[in-house]
Amino acid sequence: LVYTFNIRRGVRFHNGRELKADDFRYSFERVLNPKTKSERVWVFEKIKGAKEFNKGEAMAVSGIEVLDDYTLRLTLEKGFPPFLSVMTYNSANVVPREEVERWGEDFTSHPVGTGPFKFVEWVHDDHVTVEKFDDYWKGRPYLDRIIFRVIPEEATRFEEYKAGNLEHVDIPSGQFMQVKADMVLSKELREWAILGTYYIGFNMTKEPFGGRDWNSENKRKLRQAMNYAIDRDAIINVILEGRGIKAAGVLPPLMPGYNPKLQGYSYDPERARTLLREAGYADGRGLPPITLYHNTSETHRKVMELIQAQLAQIGVRVEVRSMDWAAYLKALDVGEFQMFRLGWIADYPDPENFLTVLLHGRNSGAGGNAAFYNNPVVNQALDRADNTVVWREREAFYRHAEELISRDAPWIPIYHYFSTVLVKPYVKGVKLSAMDTSTNWLVQPLEEIWLDR
Amino acid sequence: LLVYIVRRLFATVPVLFGVTLVIFILTFVAPGDPVLALFGQPRADPETVASIRREYNLDKPYPVQYFLYVGKLLRGDLGRSYRQRLKVSEIILDRLPKTARLTVAAMVIAISVGVIAGIISAVKQYSFIDGIVMVGSLLGVSTPVFWSGMMLILVFSSVLHDQIPLIKYIPRLPISGYGGGDLRYLILPAAALGLLSMGYIARMTRSSMLEIIRQDYVRTARAKGLAERVVIYRHTLKNALIPVATVLGLTFADLLTGAPLTESVFAWPGMGRAIVAAVQVRDLPVVMGISLFFALIYIFVNLIVDISYAYLDPRIRYD
Repeated sequence: LVYTFNIRRGVRFHNGRELKADDFRYSFERVLNPKTKSERVWVFEKIKGAKEFNKGEAMAVSGIEVLDDYTLRLTLEKGFPPFLSVMTYNSANVVPREEVERWGEDFTSHPVGTGPFKFVEWVHDDHVTVEKFDDYWKGRPYLDRIIFRVIPEEATRFEEYKAGNLEHVDIPSGQFMQVKADMVLSKELREWAILGTYYIGFNMTKEPFGGRDWNSENKRKLRQAMNYAIDRDAIINVILEGRGIKAAGVLPPLMPGYNPKLQGYSYDPERARTLLREAGYADGRGLPPITLYHNTSETHRKVMELIQAQLAQIGVRVEVRSMDWAAYLKALDVGEFQMFRLGWIADYPDPENFLTVLLHGRNSGAGGNAAFYNNPVVNQALDRADNTVVWREREAFYRHAEELISRDAPWIPIYHYFSTVLVKPYVKGVKLSAMDTSTNWLVQPLEEIWLDR
Repeated sequence: LLVYIVRRLFATVPVLFGVTLVIFILTFVAPGDPVLALFGQPRADPETVASIRREYNLDKPYPVQYFLYVGKLLRGDLGRSYRQRLKVSEIILDRLPKTARLTVAAMVIAISVGVIAGIISAVKQYSFIDGIVMVGSLLGVSTPVFWSGMMLILVFSSVLHDQIPLIKYIPRLPISGYGGGDLRYLILPAAALGLLSMGYIARMTRSSMLEIIRQDYVRTARAKGLAERVVIYRHTLKNALIPVATVLGLTFADLLTGAPLTESVFAWPGMGRAIVAAVQVRDLPVVMGISLFFALIYIFVNLIVDISYAYLDPRIRYD
């Protein structure tokens, strides 16, 4: 598959130099260069010759060709429809070679790009300042300057916002209802669904949920029973104060390929008990000790404790334990847990980023598939989906895969993420999308924001 | 005295090595992989992870890693942050003045308020003021910074401020941040941090004063007709401050370690914040560097305290 990009003329870097096709080649090869040791090699790995170059076996990436100053041609190993979405990921941003070489390791502290705002200063743990870039290709932005303040304590941020010192803020945990009831704040509230899923994973290589016979009827019934035992509404209403959408499957509702007809598992303790009995564990008898792990966080702890209580209702006793993030990731990679919680927020809006990354057998462990779920039929369906160009056919493959996954129940999908922020009423031009989160406005065009006061 | 100082300084070398070893064991051997924590799990390709690990020497056995670290340390190289790619020495130099400002200001507040309150309540023992000071100091000692900090923000700088009688006439203070060095930004965090030691210092001054006031020479001073003010300031206070000086040294260390919380509540960009963030992502060179630096300060402050005894009590000699 070949993509030919015509590069817009007159796009300038913040240092004044015009952006040319060769800058794309340089920036992509910089990530792929083994000397860079980038952890984002996967962004470009589908380009022809990328792997050879990354291993140091080739001098250049054969799939990246600069035809002239304003034409770039990318050739892929084989058809991979998510590619254009992947190219929007921030590791594919273009950087000017002269600045990278000038600053070396310190380039991270002196970033230069082509966006509407240029970097001014970064006082670590205090603030980042950017200011308007007059030569921005769409014309200069409305705002003269944006200051991003770093305030670790959510209560402090909230006070700064209420005192009028911040234009936008996230809502401290446990305060959402209060904000909703507040005459002023409720009018400044914005809520929107984002592309994320919160789930409990079963380890498909460990007893009692998995193992060599993970595919047996009994084990499947055990996992399904656990799914039926969870009252997702209670979790969303009690702990998240309504900020979440009940999850039936893996894909969040706004993701292309989302299947509104997917049944999933609704709260049905009777059915859960029946399935548990059929699995050979009537009222939980005969189950080995089970530990449910989560990474340390107040909200996760509350969710886990509610899940623990709900599972106890059908007779399944689990112990809840937490670990800090760094230790947690390592344990997940090697598949240490029987049962764990995780969440995933899209890197780019394509179902491949959820289904293939999180549930393809090839990505088991560090690749993203923390459940070590490896069903050859699902793998095959996902491979075909990832390489099919026509969307309708692709979608059908993904739906098929998601249905099989749902039946096998390697996860207990809990909820899809919701984002909420407060934005001052005089801030105009805010268009938050499913790719923006409350603290990270990734897609929001900053050049369109203006202040009406 | 000079000989004493030099000897003490030499003695710090083995202490510092002990510190490096303990911190090394705690950070490097603790569970959790810095490379995974930092570099985007999932999807970090195993070969890349391995090469990053090689770059940072994390693939070598722990003792080898330790000696490599100490070897660099002896050449004055604290290494580079895994996460920010900045030199650890640069991070410390950037953060130190900010934490120092906060700590020193907190000390000044704690000492001035604490010592004065202590003197007053000692002189007016069992009076109403004494009662207030003692209850207040108890509250100060037992209130965690994140609570007292939030309360200070609510009272002095939030929207609520405008509704509190009397206080509403004081201009609102900034809530958080460094403000590029603006002194108004320093007041609340310094007060919150100082509050912790203030009560301690007040109680210490009071009990030490009370003890001295009952000494014979104070009675003699009073008997020869000296003014009460001279008795208190010249004869009592100076002697009463010796135990307080010890406490001050320890207090300073307490403040340094208390700084991470205060810095979080008030978004103060100091060393405490840097080390907390570094621990979370296992940014080992930063954790090691800042911990070592804290240890160094601790040792140094204790040295100063010991030396200050000589000034406060001429009977103490160093030889």
